[in-house]
Amino acid sequence: MVKAALPIAFAGLGIATYFTDAVMTELQPVETPAGLEAHETNAGASLLGQFRTNFSSWLWLRTDLYLHNGVEMRVLSDSEMKAGQSGVGTGDKKHWDDESKLVTVIPPKERDFRGIFGDIERATSAFKEMKGHDHNEPQKALPLFRLMTWLDPRFIPGWTIGANVLGREKNGGFDRAVAHLQEGLASNPGNVEIMGDLGVLFAGSDKREFATALTYFEPIVRKKHDLTKLSEEEADALLSAFRWTAMCYRETGRREDQVNCARYGLMFFKDDQVLERLSHVPSLLVNPNRRAKDPEPINVDSISADQDHEHAHDHDHVH
Amino acid sequence: MKIRVWKSLARGVLLDAIRRKDLWVVGILGFLVVLCAGALGFFGFDGLEVFAKDLAVSVLGGFSTIVAIMVSSRGMTEEIKNRTLYPLLARPISRFDLLFGKFVGAVVATWVSFLILAAMTGIALSFFHVHFEAVTLQYLFLKMIGLTLVCAVGQTLSLVMTNSAAITTSLIVAFGSTLITRALGMGYSSAPPSMQAFFKALNAVLPQYGLFDIGSRVSYSGWGTAPLWVVGALTAYAVAYCGFMFILGWTKFNKQAI
Repeated sequence: MVKAALPIAFAGLGIATYFTDAVMTELQPVETPAGLEAHETNAGASLLGQFRTNFSSWLWLRTDLYLHNGVEMRVLSDSEMKAGQSGVGTGDKKHWDDESKLVTVIPPKERDFRGIFGDIERATSAFKEMKGHDHNEPQKALPLFRLMTWLDPRFIPGWTIGANVLGREKNGGFDRAVAHLQEGLASNPGNVEIMGDLGVLFAGSDKREFATALTYFEPIVRKKHDLTKLSEEEADALLSAFRWTAMCYRETGRREDQVNCARYGLMFFKDDQVLERLSHVPSLLVNPNRRAKDPEPINVDSISADQDHEHAHDHDHVH
Repeated sequence: MKIRVWKSLARGVLLDAIRRKDLWVVGILGFLVVLCAGALGFFGFDGLEVFAKDLAVSVLGGFSTIVAIMVSSRGMTEEIKNRTLYPLLARPISRFDLLFGKFVGAVVATWVSFLILAAMTGIALSFFHVHFEAVTLQYLFLKMIGLTLVCAVGQTLSLVMTNSAAITTSLIVAFGSTLITRALGMGYSSAPPSMQAFFKALNAVLPQYGLFDIGSRVSYSGWGTAPLWVVGALTAYAVAYCGFMFILGWTKFNKQAI
């Protein structure tokens, strides 16, 4: 009796395990944990990976120094904020890009307790008062972007900000920026930030190639999104993609798509005012054919302004 | 007479550095710098001048500080450990002479290493048509003065603690002094008055290595040379601080039973 029961029990266990596995696959799909790559499973590759990541991050920090001609700037510490100093604190991440609120790492004379040591440091270092300061040409930092993306092709800001800088060049800047981003996309297929920036290049520049821009925006917005799995930068890029996609639909006269896209975007970004406005078409209904024939230019400034206020973006680093 | 003694002792330190292949290491590091610059050139150097100069002054500063600490920290401890101190002191040499000669030797060895590295880096950069301005000479001069300060602190620490502890402490102070100064500056405004006085005292006692590094003015364009009064003040500060360190070390060494 026991001998007969054992095989049955094992068979039952096997079947249960099979179904449990099947159910578990649905409930808990096998995913590569974020960041688990070859460089985390092989010691040599790990060292090399850490070196290139650290070095590209170091280069990234240098770009800011390039723009300020060597003058280092920082946010205020919590204790400095509590002491009543005016500026932006460590906790106020949204305003880190507002350079008018940053202070220099080497303090100016009135904030320096060191006396002659402070005077000497200001005279021997790259220091100047940075109130209403100007910047070096971003192009000066361009080789650094080239170097950091060469060292670490997965370093997304190297591609996006690098393209932003390239795009500012007068002769052939647009083509070089597109080529740079497409190279980045080849190393990071489907990346929301790179694809979004490619779309913006085509839609927002003088080209106004909305159809081409949509080829980059649509794959992003049509995906199933889980905001909890996106980084802050990726979430910003996704929001931007929703806005731009809806705008492109509006400019090409696809009003139903515009509304659908904006409404779909609102499912993820409930409080976004730009998407809220785009989810309605009050003025267009007066003359539905007007925009298709004679499209008004996209108000890029209004979009950028909204993005600046609502989601501080890395692009603001480059002036 | 005294100068001859100091000269012989200094020469001994320099020969020891050569025998220990310290200068070879510096030469190899310099060669690597040239090689890296060559690799950089291979991938395109246009626009990377600032980056190259920035990297060069960082490497120069880092390596030369390490050499200064290693050479100055081991001078006296090795003599005591190998018992070669006894025949030395059996000669008509005072403890002051021994200490001063060793200090001069450490400084000379450090300067030689620094100049070798600087020459190699300069050659590497000139391949890529990087322009040097007058501030580069000022950088070299102030860096050499700063390295003298590193040697003085290193030697004094080696007299009050073990060799390993002296090297470790020297490295922390050398590479962390700027960071500590920044932290003191950030904490000062929000600290109570009693702590503010402590911050001021701590800042005054700490060796201000960072002031001797004008690498940022060399790397980035348009800054020009530092005013002459600054160079004079830094030199005076280095002489005073080295003197203070030397007296501290000499007092300890004099009391030391050998």
